[in-house]
This record gives sequence, structure tokens and C-alpha cells, in this order.
Amino acid sequence: MTLFDWKSELARKGHRVVLSGQPITMHCHHYNINLQKTLEDTLGDEGVQLLFDSVEQANYHGLKSLFSQYTQIKTLKSKLEMASILYQNSGFGVLHFHEIGPEGGKVYSPSSHHVTGWLAKHARRDTPGCHFARGWIAGALEAIFQYEPGHFVVDEQQCKMMRDEECLFTVNRRQR
Amino acid sequence: MAIDGNKIIHAVMEGSRIREAKGIIPLFGVYLSLFSVHYYNRLSFEFEKKMGKTRETEAQALLIQAAQECGYATFQGIRNSWEWDEIVKPMIDQKEDQIEGFTAVAVAFGWGDLEVKKLIPDEKLVICVSDSYEAGGYLNQYDRAASGKCYMLRGVTGAFMDLIYGGDYPDGCFTFTADEPLCRAKGDPYCEFIAGKSPH
Repeated sequence: MTLFDWKSELARKGHRVVLSGQPITMHCHHYNINLQKTLEDTLGDEGVQLLFDSVEQANYHGLKSLFSQYTQIKTLKSKLEMASILYQNSGFGVLHFHEIGPEGGKVYSPSSHHVTGWLAKHARRDTPGCHFARGWIAGALEAIFQYEPGHFVVDEQQCKMMRDEECLFTVNRRQR
Repeated sequence: MAIDGNKIIHAVMEGSRIREAKGIIPLFGVYLSLFSVHYYNRLSFEFEKKMGKTRETEAQALLIQAAQECGYATFQGIRNSWEWDEIVKPMIDQKEDQIEGFTAVAVAFGWGDLEVKKLIPDEKLVICVSDSYEAGGYLNQYDRAASGKCYMLRGVTGAFMDLIYGGDYPDGCFTFTADEPLCRAKGDPYCEFIAGKSPH
């Protein structure tokens, strides 16, 4: 089943690029990885958190807007499918959502823009490095379950940047 | 032959709709991604804010440096790609034309309506942008800026000159440096980027 016609949703408004009417831009792995490294090297954990928060917010609002445009997408299964399609078609890689519910779940990623980019530029890491994917997953699930950003914590248990077989993320409610 | 920007935009738009099963977009020799401008703006401007007043200059320099290194590697990949050979190269008569080609790719990527205003070979490049997503994003989120806020475009302008006049790749990065004397984020009617030889 085709949930939405990706190709017609990606368009131009003059010199601007839009996806379902929302302003987007195209950047390559050099820039995305340079930004991540700049934040990590300069601010440490605070920089990682800033990256996570920025993706989470942007994706939360983006998906919320998409769901309001595609009102036929109602079930959890179809919303997760739409999120996966969006991730894949944005060039970020592949996400497989697993046992996802309002309390969280697991997400596997066998392929990733940031992993490919990081390994091409900096080789193997000793710590998990898919902060972008963690934030993206948090924002997506908060939009799907209609929570506010900040509701979920996403941890990366295995990471391909560390040469694990695939990236594995666990999603849990944030303890307040 | 003049560079036909529309041809390049068309190629990028078509290419960015094609991705492999792994969800990776290999286009013009790089891995491309598509994401909200709000993400990039928040990342840059909140980074600057977190660095605080005392490290403001360092934050700006780091963001420009990240962009210039990226622009240098990215556009080197772009001009060595088969897409460039097929679409852009036939329109290039002299090496300076590459700057017009780079600019058209940047427009295609959604970075703004970049326009080359002046190019003095090996000396100076002036690019104007009336709708940079960085300046627009800053204006939407914060008070009027005291200095230019388009760090990505500033770095990229320097990288364009590095690639044409900086000598052999990969040793030419930062041969040039760009300033942004005019920026919409500080109330100017458009953003202006001027690249010249780095002072070292």
C-alpha cells in the first residue's frame, strides 16, 4: 500500500525546496558529520544533547504536520510505516520499528547515512554515535503517540560506527 | 556557453528522488540527505548561544570552518562526479565557470537564491543571497542580529575559491576566507559574502 506519493511531495517553490509544503534543505555527509563532530568535540555531552533535541523537535513538528495532512493514516502500523518511508526517502537509511507501544520499544537500523558518513570520514568509534537517529526516533514516536517532545529517551545499545552488526535503539519513557 | 542553472536544478531534483534500498542517496559524488531547515538553524544558533558571549567568536569560527571543510570536500566530489561530467562540464568554457556551476548546485540544494555578483580571478568572489535559510531562520526565532548569521554560506563561499584557486586538492582548503558584511538577520536587504585570500 502506498501511503503517500513521495515523489510528488518533494517539490520546489522557486529556489526553496519543500517536502509536503515544509521547508527542507539538502546537505551531504560531509556537513552532517562535521556538525556532529564540532558539537561533540566542543561541548561534549551538552553538544550531543543539543543535536538530539534539535532533530527531535524538527522531526516531531514535521511528522505532526504530515499526519495532519494525511488523515487516512490512522493506525499505529501505518504511522510507523510512514515514519520509516520518510526516514528512508530523506536519505537517512533504514529503520525497523519493533514492538513499539506508548511505553516505547526497540528500533533496528541496518543502514544509515550518518554511519556511512562517519566511517568514510573518521573510521571506527569507541562509543555509539547515532545521535541524529536517536533524536529522529524520539521525535517520530512522540508525534505518533501525541506526546510532547522530551517524553521519550532513546539509547543506542549497538552501533555500526563501533562495527556492531547493526544499530539498536531502545526507547523508554523519560523518568521525571 | 553560460551555465544553465535550471538544468542543474532539474538534475538534482530528479536525482534526489532516487535512492538505493539502503535509504542512502548517492548523488554528485556525495551522500545526500533531506531535512528540515529548522534543524540546521537550531543546531547552529543554539550552539552559538551555549558557547556564551566569551566564546561567541570561537563558535562562529567553528561553524564557518565546518562548512568550509564540507564545501571543499563536497564540491570536489561534485565536480569529479559523472553527473557533473554529463550535465555541467559541457557548459564550462573556462575554470571560472565552475563557480557558476557550484552556485547552481547550491541553489538546487535549497541553500538560497545565490547569485555571483563579482569574480576577480584568484582574488575576490562576491555572492549575494536575498533568501538564505540561515538568515530567514534567525529572523524567525531571535531578535535582530548584531553580526552576520549565515555561517554555512560564508564557509561555502570561501570553499568555492579554495577549489578554483587554492592549488591541488586536498591542500587548498582555507586559502580563502569569506566575510558576510551584509546579512538579512541584522536588517540588511540581502546577505553578501565576500571571499578573499586568507591573512596568513
